[in-house]
Amino acid sequence: MATAASPLGTVPPVLPATDVVIQTVDLWKIYQMGTEQVAALRGVSIEIKRNEYVAIMGPSGSGKSTLMNLIGCLDSPTKGQYWLNHQQVSELDDDALAHIRNHEIGFVFQTFNLLARATALHNVELPLIYAGVESAQRSARALEALKKVDLVDRKDHRPNELSGGQRQRVAIARALINNPSILLADEPTGNLDSTTSNEIMGLMDRLWSQGNTVVLVTHEPDIAEYAHRVIFIRDGQVARDEPTARGRKARV
Amino acid sequence: MPLKESIFVALDTLWSHKLRSFLTLLGIIVSIWTLVAVVSLVQGVNGYVGAKIAHLGSNAISVSQFSLEEMTDQKLFREARKRNKPITMAEYDYLRDHSRLAQNVVASSSRGTGTNLKAGNHNMTDVQVEGDTANAIALAVYDVAAGRFLSPSDVARGNNVVFIGPDIANQLFPGVDPIGQTLNVDGHDYQVIGEATVQGNVFGQSQDSFVIIPIGVYHAIYGTKGSVEVDAQASSALALPALSDELRMLMRSVRHLHYADPDTFGLIGADSLMALFHQLTGVIAAVMIGVAFVFLVVGGIVIMNIMLAAVTERTREVGIRKALGARRKDILSQFLVEAAVLSTVGGLLGVALAWAFTLLAGQLTPLPFALPWAAVLVALGISTTVGLFFGIYPAQKAAKLEPITALRSES
Ligand SMILES: Nc1ncnc2c1ncn2[C@@H]1O[C@H](COP(=O)(O)OP(=O)(O)OP(=O)(O)O)[C@@H](O)[C@H]1O
Ligand SMILES: [Mg+2]
Repeated sequence: MATAASPLGTVPPVLPATDVVIQTVDLWKIYQMGTEQVAALRGVSIEIKRNEYVAIMGPSGSGKSTLMNLIGCLDSPTKGQYWLNHQQVSELDDDALAHIRNHEIGFVFQTFNLLARATALHNVELPLIYAGVESAQRSARALEALKKVDLVDRKDHRPNELSGGQRQRVAIARALINNPSILLADEPTGNLDSTTSNEIMGLMDRLWSQGNTVVLVTHEPDIAEYAHRVIFIRDGQVARDEPTARGRKARV
Repeated sequence: MPLKESIFVALDTLWSHKLRSFLTLLGIIVSIWTLVAVVSLVQGVNGYVGAKIAHLGSNAISVSQFSLEEMTDQKLFREARKRNKPITMAEYDYLRDHSRLAQNVVASSSRGTGTNLKAGNHNMTDVQVEGDTANAIALAVYDVAAGRFLSPSDVARGNNVVFIGPDIANQLFPGVDPIGQTLNVDGHDYQVIGEATVQGNVFGQSQDSFVIIPIGVYHAIYGTKGSVEVDAQASSALALPALSDELRMLMRSVRHLHYADPDTFGLIGADSLMALFHQLTGVIAAVMIGVAFVFLVVGGIVIMNIMLAAVTERTREVGIRKALGARRKDILSQFLVEAAVLSTVGGLLGVALAWAFTLLAGQLTPLPFALPWAAVLVALGISTTVGLFFGIYPAQKAAKLEPITALRSES
């Protein structure tokens, strides 16, 4: 399944299959730490198709978050190519990247990353503000999104008045508000207990079943089991790429 | 991000750090306060003095030892001092007798130092003493409130009578009708014959603290060394230039000046007096406005500083916004609007203080103070501009942050 790194390195993929939404080719990320170079990613080539449900696993420091940030257009690679919906991301300018982050990708973080001083409703509204949606429609849609994560009664609460699970649900509502086709979640349950984790994963599952492409990073094997495919990363490289039990079942 | 949203966020931030915001804004507040208050002050004083001079009669013209130009220009004054002679009573008599265009020709003498008064066991110091001709009341800013002014026979005979300002009546004759009482001025006794109407203060200086005695008596006591001031009144403003020409011609002939000689005296009309006054208040205003601009620049730098701190403090917020699709210009405008809102609020507070100042000054002085709306608008425009200008650098710093770097920051 793993696309072997091209021997020529940066050659663009030959006409990517139309249902491939994420494709990386020999992706490198090298951090310069003083005189020392830290290679967080060392030639990662993966393909993810539309409506796939993928988990990324690997030991701490192996480069999972680095990869997710590149996929989410929050960071740029040192070397290699990244094709998102058949567009090469490295060729896009700042505003185009902002547009992608706004319209095409919903990102859920382990640490929630909500605005501390804003209410749940306002946090959910934020992507719509940058999409240029006018105010009345914004709050209507944000309320709708909060309804989906079952938090309408907490809409006027600030993050510090919410539980961890509630905060993550707000973050998920925010990630979904602009109907992105790709949902990226970096350890979305990393700060939550197992019951709340299962609640969150139930939400992710529903999103996947509605046609979204879901990629999530996790340390926990039972969380990874929600996915249909697991990519193992070790030392900045793809070590294994295989279907999960659920994935195998789905394929039959 | 729409402007309304930015302004809302900015006000919210400002409100959540009330004390810090206030301290940040001190520079702007003080400078806008100064700007608006100075303009109001200058307008008020100009209006007041303008009204006074109009009351004095814009149709009046003074003949004095020096012209306004000579009095306000060091170099001209040094030359004129060698050349110009004091106006004498003989010259006054000549002008009065020969002018055909003037309705009234008045003479008065006064001196720079104040005078000591005594009545019974009451004393007063530093009062202005003036010697007048009997017709001086026609050109005076005040009217007769009680009793009468100097009569022609008082002046002709040199009667020891005095016409007093209301301050003198209040302080030396409390609860007593001053008319007919005896007043001692610098050791000489006079009989009080009348009292003037109230004029109030100009620049905190009472206009009602004076005594007026017949001009001949004045010269007998205080000497004739100083120049007499001659004031002549034209029938109308239109007749003023002709009167001015006539007075110059008469003065030159009585002094036997050759046609090529410069004037050895000055002619001062109400218009030139007003022009001089505007020049004076203009200088004061220019200095104050200069000071205000220094405050403004200081205020702007403080705003820049606080905005840089805000950017550092909210790096993570910038990261979150960028991760959710904020473009550079969205972040840029957010911080710019915040800086502008901050400084505009400072400007508004400054205007409010200036407004309170004008109200208070209007209560305590007779000056017609008003909030100058044009100055208020300009001041608010300036304060907003200062915020925008000094906000550019911090806002650019925020806008340029990489999303992932910003998200990773600890704040
Ligand atoms: N900004 C950075 N500067 C320098 N090195 C970095 C930076 N970010 C990540 N790294 C390094 O890159 C490597 C991969 O980091 P990354 O965060 O991707 O790991 P991870 O797989 O997500 O780990 P974890 O499971 O603990 O979250 C690590 O060795 C880390 O020290
Ligand atoms: Mg990580």
